[in-house]
Amino acid sequence: MGNSVAVTLDHVSKIYPNTKGKRDVAAVRDSSFTIEPGELVTLLGPSGCGKTTTLRMIAGFELPTAGKILIGKADVSMLPPNKRNTATVFQSYGLFPHMNVHDNIAYGLKLRKIENAELEKRVSAALALVGLTDLADRSPGRLSGGQQQRVALARSLIVEPEVLLLDEPLSNLDALLREQMRVEIKKIQRKLGNTTVYVTHDRVEAMSLSDRVIVMKDGLIMQMGSPSDIYENPQSKFVAGFVGKVAFFPVDVLGIEGENAVCLVGGKQVSAKRSSDAIVAEKKATLMARPESLRLGEMGEGLIDGTVTTNIYLGSSIESWIATPYGEMLAQIDDPASRTVWAEGTKVSISVKESLARVLPEE
Amino acid sequence: MQSARKKLIVFAVAFAMFASADFWVFSSIRSAFVGIVDRMRTNETDLFIKTAPSDASALPAWIENSAEILGGAQLAFVAPDGASGTYVLSSNLERVSEFWNVNRQDSEFVQGLDSAYYFEDYTTKKQFLFDGIKTSVTFKPLINADGSDINGILLVMRTAGANSGFDRLLLIFSIGILIIFSIIWLVVVFARDRVSSFAIIAIAVFAFVFIAYPLFETVRLTVMKDGNLSLSVWKKALEANYLKALSGSILLGVLTATTSTVIGFLFAFTVTRTSIRGKGLISALATLPVISPPFSLTLSVILLAGNNGLITRQLLGLSSFSIYGLFGLVIVQTIGMFPIAFMTLSGVLRAIDSTQEDAALDLSAGRFKTFMTITLPLAMPGVLSSWLLVFTNSLADFANPLLLAGSYRVLSVEAYMEVTGRNNLGGGAALSIMLLLPTLTAFLVQRYWVSKKSFVTVTGKPSSRLTELASPPVRIILALLVGMFVAIIIGLYGTIIAGCFVRNWGIDYTFTLENIVEALSRGKKAIGDTVTLAAIATPIAGILSMIGALILVRKTFFGKRVLEALLMTPFAIPGTLLGISYILAFNKAPLLLVGTAAIIIINYVVRELPVGLEGGVANLRQVDPSIEEAAQDLGADSLTVFRTIVLPILRPAFISSMSYTFVRSMTAVSAIIFLISAKWYHLTVQIYNFSENLRFGLASVLSTALIIIVFAAFGIMNISVRDQGVMEKNIVG
Repeated sequence: MGNSVAVTLDHVSKIYPNTKGKRDVAAVRDSSFTIEPGELVTLLGPSGCGKTTTLRMIAGFELPTAGKILIGKADVSMLPPNKRNTATVFQSYGLFPHMNVHDNIAYGLKLRKIENAELEKRVSAALALVGLTDLADRSPGRLSGGQQQRVALARSLIVEPEVLLLDEPLSNLDALLREQMRVEIKKIQRKLGNTTVYVTHDRVEAMSLSDRVIVMKDGLIMQMGSPSDIYENPQSKFVAGFVGKVAFFPVDVLGIEGENAVCLVGGKQVSAKRSSDAIVAEKKATLMARPESLRLGEMGEGLIDGTVTTNIYLGSSIESWIATPYGEMLAQIDDPASRTVWAEGTKVSISVKESLARVLPEE
Repeated sequence: MQSARKKLIVFAVAFAMFASADFWVFSSIRSAFVGIVDRMRTNETDLFIKTAPSDASALPAWIENSAEILGGAQLAFVAPDGASGTYVLSSNLERVSEFWNVNRQDSEFVQGLDSAYYFEDYTTKKQFLFDGIKTSVTFKPLINADGSDINGILLVMRTAGANSGFDRLLLIFSIGILIIFSIIWLVVVFARDRVSSFAIIAIAVFAFVFIAYPLFETVRLTVMKDGNLSLSVWKKALEANYLKALSGSILLGVLTATTSTVIGFLFAFTVTRTSIRGKGLISALATLPVISPPFSLTLSVILLAGNNGLITRQLLGLSSFSIYGLFGLVIVQTIGMFPIAFMTLSGVLRAIDSTQEDAALDLSAGRFKTFMTITLPLAMPGVLSSWLLVFTNSLADFANPLLLAGSYRVLSVEAYMEVTGRNNLGGGAALSIMLLLPTLTAFLVQRYWVSKKSFVTVTGKPSSRLTELASPPVRIILALLVGMFVAIIIGLYGTIIAGCFVRNWGIDYTFTLENIVEALSRGKKAIGDTVTLAAIATPIAGILSMIGALILVRKTFFGKRVLEALLMTPFAIPGTLLGISYILAFNKAPLLLVGTAAIIIINYVVRELPVGLEGGVANLRQVDPSIEEAAQDLGADSLTVFRTIVLPILRPAFISSMSYTFVRSMTAVSAIIFLISAKWYHLTVQIYNFSENLRFGLASVLSTALIIIVFAAFGIMNISVRDQGVMEKNIVG
């Protein structure tokens, strides 16, 4: 390795030309980012945001309309998938129905004309890695969803791709299996150190797996960063809302103090970190707070008042839904045994832990 | 894109270089050819001149007598008129003297006459119009006996068009090579997936050359005469006696479609909606006639009810009864085509959700009422659909009317007679196009209108439980009717087999094996040819239909809809038309295919491609595209993906397309009868010939042989598809 960059997207756009009078569709717009070797990067966003298109352009199934894609230092923008050293795990797995598990996994090696002894060794290793040694002779149709998923993963890993691409690999599995596979994928990725691009619309998957998350919307990259960075320092209301539960308060910015913006909420002043220099005095903005940074208190104590509508008991915490003039907000009360829990129907006041709150642009 | 422009410039340069090389090569070939032809002509003329009499007075007679010797040339003789120093033409042909008078002052004429006067040959550089045709003139001195003077000058007028056939061929080749060069270059430089691009281009070329072009030529022939637009062919085709053949075809189609649909419904209802026993056997026997060879049912009906028929003559002693004509045709076609209705309708009846009938029964409607108000209306689009399908088939049918029509006239046979009997290709083409109109209308109505009206979707997945709608007495009546019909089918096939072993059907019913010996020795070549041709066409059609399906389902390209429609066209076209269009289109170089095995094989492939294509497309639509993407992603190129993934997954469709092609090729008549030659013969035509010559024993033996071959092919296919059951489930799941 030694190379500092594994994948580069340089101002990549994908525009589907209009068909039958419809307008052109920009699936991906001017997208640029780099992925370091061994890194697991997640493309996160709602459906239609361009994340799968981006993945398919890296794999070679789609060609960029503009821009360049580099794997290592080679420009692969126009190369067909079979000329790129990438391997994709598909949402629907795409297992070869006419081959058994062993032959499915061996397929890529056979194309590479690997001699038989070596091939068998590597297939056995791959089978062991995903825990399917006993099922080598099964046909894919007689495997469970999780097992099919493992076969697809092994089939991609065995060719030692420069980039491993995972396209919503867990979306066809039930919740329990999904969690299990998530852990497994992470373990395998850590063990083999593959550079990996992972596409999902599930924020839990994105947060728990990734070294870095790229949040996309309408073909645009909204924000890139580590999971904690994305969660704690979102740049926009969209990212804040997409990666976790959040409460928004419309505020007027009174002034700027270094990194912080002093805002007026419900007649009270709050000072919190601003998301960018675009937040300036005498402008409207949005104060964002996660449920765990909201505090409930007696009427008039906090920023705004509201009524507790529902309390949901989760064991380690309680989620309290509060109806306020700015809409319903969620406050999370950790360690409920030693804290006050406000009964449903009581009037409360919400205050914000300033160190965890952020001031975002109004829209 | 900068690079694209650069590539285009490189292409333009390469194209220019290649084009000039191409031009140089072909113009060299052309001038070499022209040189050879000219030399040959000069020699020919010189040789001819040598036969000239030395006596000047004998010359005009010699010229008149030898006008035919120089093929394609017109001769004129001018003699010097000593007094005026000019030349006098001696010819009584008006066009020759007109030509002479118009051109004699032309500088080239003057020069030619002068040269000839000094014993020199001269050929004009310019072309002169002689009788409306471009002509070059050669001046030849006719020298007198002692060689001192000329007796006169011979003008040899040659049409310049003599080389035009060769020129046309050269032009086609030189432009063709240029186009091929451009396509290859552009695909290699610009296409991302070269193999697929070449496959698309190859299939498009195939479709245009072997489907669009012959049909276009056929239409063109019917509206052109001597290079001008003319409707004389159509005027003749629309005369009363041909229109009678059209109405004859339509009447036959209507009757056959109606009886077939009624019987088909009876069978389908019995098999799907009653708890009768032996359903499997009934289904098998009811589908038998679909794959049985042409002529076989007709043959058996003739044996039983013909002029010397076992039933009509021997048992009933009828002498005035004739099976030949509309009545016999309806019977034979119904037996042959009701399986189409049966298969369509049993699919529909099976797909009707029984809960709807249960609901009606629950609302205390009787069984009959339920059938009339629920089942029948729901099945109505299917009934209409099967009626139209049978109608189309009946109109396109050629084999049965050929043997059994008698004096009853139908278009398909009329077109054949026009071509083979009266040697009138244009008329035959016009009649078969006339046949296309009702056929195509019915086909399109069935396909795009009726199938959309359908209340039920035939999924191939029967609903779990079907309500019994027949009361016990009804069941018995149904069983009797169906049983009777099945007995007739078995009887007909039995008759053919019996016919093999009878010395002379109708006269002498003693047992003999002579027929078998004679038929097999005389039919050996036909059997060999037929199997060989079908065996070659089968894999080609199979592979082509799978490639076509892959392209049509997975690739997007300009003109895809057009290509798809073109490839599907032969399905709706009567074989007679396709056969006629092939002899029309492929009778000149470079596509001189008439009389070869290639034309027959290509015809098979073109005709059977649509069914294979549809099967492949339907099958491939069920397959998750990411299966192919995964293979490509792992490093397989298009060809490897096709070979290792697509073809194995499509194996059921692939095999059934091949077996279909094989069976249909073995049993083809309507198109093939125009295309066979002494070199490549077809078994069905041999059966026809034997039947025409009343050698029914021999015809029976060959029919039986054909049935055995076809069933064997079907059996092999069934076995090889059966062990695919597990896999099909995997593709969907």
